[in-house]
This record gives sequence, structure tokens and C-alpha cells, in this order.
Amino acid sequence: MLELKNVKKSFGKNKILKGVDINVNKGDVVVILGPSGSGKTTLLRTINFLERADSGTMIFDGKTYDMKKAGKKDVNFIRKNTAFVFQNYCLFNNKTVLQNVTEGLIVGRKVPKAEAEEKARAALEKVGMLEYADYYPSKLSGGMQQRVGIARAVAVSPDIILFDEPTSALDPELVGDVLKVIKKLAKEDITMIVVTHEMSFAEDVANKVIFMADGVVVEEGTPDEIFYRPKEERTKQFLSRIIPMDNYVI
Amino acid sequence: MRFQIQYLFKYFFKILPYLKVTIEYAGLSLLFGLIFGSILATFKLQKNKVLKYFGVVYTAIFRSVPPVVLLFLVYYGLPQLVLNLFGIDIQNEEKILYVIITISILSMVSLSEVIRSAYISIDKGQYEAAISTGLLPVQAMIRIVIPQMIYVALPSIGNIVIYLIKEGSLGFTIGLVDVFGKANSLNQNSYSNYILEIYVALALIYWFSSIILERALKLIEKRVSFGR
Repeated sequence: MLELKNVKKSFGKNKILKGVDINVNKGDVVVILGPSGSGKTTLLRTINFLERADSGTMIFDGKTYDMKKAGKKDVNFIRKNTAFVFQNYCLFNNKTVLQNVTEGLIVGRKVPKAEAEEKARAALEKVGMLEYADYYPSKLSGGMQQRVGIARAVAVSPDIILFDEPTSALDPELVGDVLKVIKKLAKEDITMIVVTHEMSFAEDVANKVIFMADGVVVEEGTPDEIFYRPKEERTKQFLSRIIPMDNYVI
Repeated sequence: MRFQIQYLFKYFFKILPYLKVTIEYAGLSLLFGLIFGSILATFKLQKNKVLKYFGVVYTAIFRSVPPVVLLFLVYYGLPQLVLNLFGIDIQNEEKILYVIITISILSMVSLSEVIRSAYISIDKGQYEAAISTGLLPVQAMIRIVIPQMIYVALPSIGNIVIYLIKEGSLGFTIGLVDVFGKANSLNQNSYSNYILEIYVALALIYWFSSIILERALKLIEKRVSFGR
């Protein structure tokens, strides 16, 4: 349903993506792991055209796009059918929680207000934030804001949700709530790509794990394969650094 | 001479109607200043070197010219320039026009700086979130970024308005009759016999205008504070 081929991106002389291929099927929960600077976030951003790839092909919903040259219409179409959850939430500070969720429906998709609000309330209910519908983001904790961010993504019924390190800006005690919400969505067969450092979450939820380093995909497979039987030296190195030895056999 | 309070009141009400002129040039200068200041701010935020350089040089030139010098340049220079370039004679236009042009040029510089820093202060992520949720870039600016910029910029804009009201009083040097021009001519007509009464009355008028302006700003600020 989403396929990327040979995606490349540089910032100045710095080559961030050196030809990345990934393939996501409907209902997949794909977790992308990797050390910082490996290009995970940039890859995710090129999918939503928040970053323009220098070259690469995207096949989305059966249509092929040139990621460098895609025009405004194509870009807007892809953005409307994907949703992005940001590391630092990026809620609209001038809108209430409810308006944050309805904005993309009413303005972006011309959904009538009443219908949009109904959908928004359902999405907020799902993430446990309905009672805060009339609050402004500045009154909410980070974990609450991120749950609203997720509701904003879910409400537009996208084909795929892109999570960019959704919990890494949160206090440790708030991480659990947000992960719980994402797990719930995963069980509903919503397709998603999650960039994260939460290993146990990846193991529980993902049906595919991609390990990236230095702008390329080093290895991909089921969580079992990647966590317990990694083939590549680079993967083993990375895992040994972040997972306590006694829990995993490497 | 003794200060006579009844003359203070008399002159206060004689000068007050001319506040209309002051409001006119302050309002119009603010409007033009905001329009051209936004354009100048966009220039300065560009990656394009030529536009950016233009913005920076423009700011540097006009920030360093004293307002009264600029007013004279506009008043005496502009009609000649327009006559030579377009063959149109604007010599007999109303004096307020030159004051508005001068203060617009000046306020445009400070407003562009205010607008530029307000834009920078809004986290770029909100704009990205808006376009990724399906808004067009222009919708993202109008609905998400600009309302928040207003909140950030409002206090500075208030200061600039008060400043340009005061700068406008220089209009008397080219014969504009605003509150200051009127006070000045009243003083001359009374051979400076009531000089204190007249200028205290004038100061009070400026003072009251500032208070009203500040109140108005507070009201607007409340409207765009979004729960903060």
C-alpha cells in the first residue's frame, strides 16, 4: 500500500538518506529503529513531504509518484490521506482541543461542522481526552497533548499514520499512557509507521521492524528476528547498547 | 503669571477636535506600515539574497534618519520627484499626505522587525502540522500562524502606535494642523500669555489618548490570548 524506492536526501553536504527502500502493507505496524542521525525522522518526513526528497519513488494507493517532482495537488492528496504525529506534539495553540481535531476535517476536507465535531469527539474518546475538548493546549500536560495529537491524526481516517518519536519528549511517567493509545490503534488494524526508541513497545506491537543506520536500511524482519536473531553486526551493536544483556540473547 | 485652570479647560476643548487629524494619520500610517512592513518582513525572512539584502539595507537607512529630516525630504523632495517622473503636480496636496507617507516609511521599518520576530517565535512545527493535516500553506498561515503572531506582536505594535502618534506632531513643522499644530497656533495668537495652560492641556490630550489606546490593546490581547 505504501512503497518507497531508493529515497535519497541530503542537507547541504550531509547525506542523510542514501537510498532507502521500504514496503508497508495494509494493517502493518512498522517500527523503525536506529541510532540518532540515522535518518529515521527524515525518512518519515519525506513521506509526508514535510521534507522534499532529492530523489526517490513512492507508490501510494496504487499510484506512483516521483518524490522530487510531485506537484502541489499530489502532495496535498498524499498529505490528506496520511497523518503525522509529531515528537513535540505541535498542537495548534490558538485552537481548543476539539478545534485541533476538527481543523483538518472542516478546513482541509470540507466536512460539515456537525459531522466533523462528531468524528472529532469519537477520536478524542478513543484517546481518553474527550473531557478536555474545550481546553487550550497550553493547559494540558505533554502526555495529554500528545494524545490529542494522535486524535487529530486518527480523526481524518488516514490510510496510514506516521509517528515520529511520539514519546521521546515526554516525562517517563507519561509515556505509558501514550503507548497504550498507540497499541489500541494497532489492534484496530490501522496502518502505521512508528519511529521510536521504546523497545518493549516495538516487540509487543510491531509486525515488522526496520533497523536503520547511516542513511540506509541495515536489516528488517519480525520483532523476533531483529531482537533475538539479528544477522548484521551493526544491529547487534545497537541492540547491545540499549537493551540489558540478561533480557535478550544476542 | 498665575496658572489659570479655567483657561486649561478652555484650551483643552479648543484643541480636542483636532485629535481627529492625529487619529487619521496615526491610523492610516499604521495600516500602510503593517501592509508594507509585512512585505519587508517577508523579504528579510527570504533565503533569496537580493531580497534579504534589500530588506536589511532599507531598514538600516531609514532607522538612522531623524524623523524630522525624513519629513522635510518627503515634503520638499517628493513633489519634485513625482513631477519629474510622472509629470503630476502634487504640490498642493494636503499636508497630511506627507506626514502619512513619512510615518508610514518609519513605522514600516519597526513593524517589519516586530513581524519578523513574531513569525520566528511561532514554532514551525505548528505550520507543518497544519499542512500535514490537509490545510493548504496559505490556510495554515491565516488560520494557525498569523493569529498567534498577533498575540506575540501586539504589545510592540502598541508601543509603535504611541510612538507614531508622537512623531506625527512633527507635522507642525510643515504646517499641518493637528493637536500640536493647533496648540502651537493658539499659543502664538495669545502671545504666549497662556503657554502653560495650552501645553498642559495638550499633554493631557496625548495622555488620555494613550490610556484609551492601552485599554483597547488589552481588550484585543484578551481576545487572542487562547487560554494563556
